[in-house]
Amino acid sequence: MKQELSSGNKHKKWYRLDTAALIFPAIARLDWCNAFRVSATLDEEVDPYVLQHAVDDMRGRFPSFFVTLHKGFFWCYLEESSRKVEVQQDYSYPLTFMSSRELKTNCLRVLYYKDRIAAEFFHSLSDGRGGSVFLCNLVARYLELKKDISIPKGGIIRDLGEAPPKQELEDSFLKNAAEVAAGRSEARSYHLHGRKEQDGFKHLTTGIVDTQALLDKSHEIGVSVTAFLAGVMAKSIMDMQDLEKPKKRQRPVKITIPVDLRRLYGSDTLRNFSLVLNLGADPRYGDYTVEQLCRVIWHQLGATATPQNMAGLIAANVQPQQMTALRLAPSFIKHIAMDMVYRNSGESGGSLNISNLSSVDLPEEMARHVKRMEFIIGPQRSYPNNCSVLSYGGKTYINMIRNIRGSELERRFFSRLVEMGIAVEIESNRRLT
Amino acid sequence: MYCVKCGVKLQEGAESCPLCHTPVWNPEGKTEERTYPDNMPPYHSDRDAAGALAMTVLCLIAELVILTVCLKLYGELSWGGYAIFGILLFYIVVVLPRWFRAPRAEIFVPVDHAAAALYLLYVCVKTGGHWFMSFAFPVILIGCLIATAMICLLKYVRNGKAFIFGGFLLLLGGFSMLIEFFEHITFGTEMFLWSPYSLTVFGLCGLALLIAGAIPSLRRELRKRFFF
Repeated sequence: MKQELSSGNKHKKWYRLDTAALIFPAIARLDWCNAFRVSATLDEEVDPYVLQHAVDDMRGRFPSFFVTLHKGFFWCYLEESSRKVEVQQDYSYPLTFMSSRELKTNCLRVLYYKDRIAAEFFHSLSDGRGGSVFLCNLVARYLELKKDISIPKGGIIRDLGEAPPKQELEDSFLKNAAEVAAGRSEARSYHLHGRKEQDGFKHLTTGIVDTQALLDKSHEIGVSVTAFLAGVMAKSIMDMQDLEKPKKRQRPVKITIPVDLRRLYGSDTLRNFSLVLNLGADPRYGDYTVEQLCRVIWHQLGATATPQNMAGLIAANVQPQQMTALRLAPSFIKHIAMDMVYRNSGESGGSLNISNLSSVDLPEEMARHVKRMEFIIGPQRSYPNNCSVLSYGGKTYINMIRNIRGSELERRFFSRLVEMGIAVEIESNRRLT
Repeated sequence: MYCVKCGVKLQEGAESCPLCHTPVWNPEGKTEERTYPDNMPPYHSDRDAAGALAMTVLCLIAELVILTVCLKLYGELSWGGYAIFGILLFYIVVVLPRWFRAPRAEIFVPVDHAAAALYLLYVCVKTGGHWFMSFAFPVILIGCLIATAMICLLKYVRNGKAFIFGGFLLLLGGFSMLIEFFEHITFGTEMFLWSPYSLTVFGLCGLALLIAGAIPSLRRELRKRFFF
């Protein structure tokens, strides 16, 4: 990744947006932008002063997170922020709107509530995996300062005294693109809808399940946990669509599943390096059982999430930004074009996003102070519900977020898990007014 | 503590199930531990308040300048009336919706038509014309009814866009004939001078859309070729 290093203190570092990050400023709206949150719940109440100290200590090792978003003539770019990321108390719902004014100040938030530390990221900074690395290191630093313990470095925990290696800051899309781009066209999927919360409130329903029970059930069907959850979700959405319109007028139900490309290509980048696949079935051709849907998604995932196929998809994102004619277009024209592409082939292909960060393993010295970890993605621009999953300490936390009032999807999804023999504990941030 | 309907385990002290809203029997009167605080974030409004304010100030300045110039030069509103009410019409149509977070088209479209009708009434009275009741008013009223009906159908009916647009085009064709009819009875112009052409064009397009709406394969083909 190209970066302009400062020759003196007065020159701020700046970064090009990575290939996936380019789209997020273009599709942001006056009341919506793409953001996500990773949080950790500790064994005691958070001390905001110590937390602020820990956040300040992170800047040197994770410079690409302490940045502001700016619009250049041709492209948007990230610039080292001159202002501190101030820790703040959490609000009544996660992922409150990040305005363009806020993004010009900082693209990262650090929040606390009781015993929970949360970091919220504008998606142009990083993806869920990169965000979880940042949060784990923040919590590690906090614990070191607060409890005066030493947490061994290695794995997910980095040495804050070291300079960030180049591979953490690179745009891994560029070097893993195929020569030929894969096609983008996909049929429009069914989208859920409902009465939107006018004040931007987001309802969060967390289902806590035993990870082993989830694994056992998935293996019983012969699929992965992600495919299992996606299958159950697809079935719940299909049932809702059945109530809304007759079979022949229905749309495909597809679950958007982000694939972490670091595993496929051995990358260590902390920038965005994931691509989404829309997997599911078309109910017009007949009814599916949950088990069938799980297997369909599992096979589709296996067939499409190959290094070769993903390289083709990467090329579809990389090639347009390498075309000279497009590169010479002013950024506002690019944004209009990207917005149109996103509207027609971005979100339209999926009904709901299930982002599974899988399990996070912390060093023993740290794990004994961290009770729980969660991952939350915000609702998409064109559909109101989203789901994110993270496993930690033997529990899997399934967070379902929505910006509409009705909780029908959550009810159907979690009830179905219970019917399938998986005990679910429910928490929510229900609004008081 | 479990929900009797969903079967999920609930937080201690929960008053109702977050999924199905079934009330929970809580004999010990425990209170639910909140996972998020009660404080709402600063209310973010996506309305363009700054832009609306700036345009309001500009309109006010323009109104004041015109008023002052007219009173100073002629001692009456004179031509300034057209400009002042014209700016007021512009304000109602363009600026007023910007003050609202989610302006509802089905409300603002009739309001805009009413404002336009009042402006034309002023022009008619001022010029001593007799065309308002027999021409401007019915044309605006019918235009308003068609536009509002179209907006409501598009907003509240999820499917059948081809039928809605097809019907709208047919109505536009008929509307053009009515305009010529009102023109004829008000100004004495010749009937069927131009409206048959617009009726033919709108009618054919409308019929094509109605046919496309009724034939799924044709609809798919058109969507494929004309997607944007």
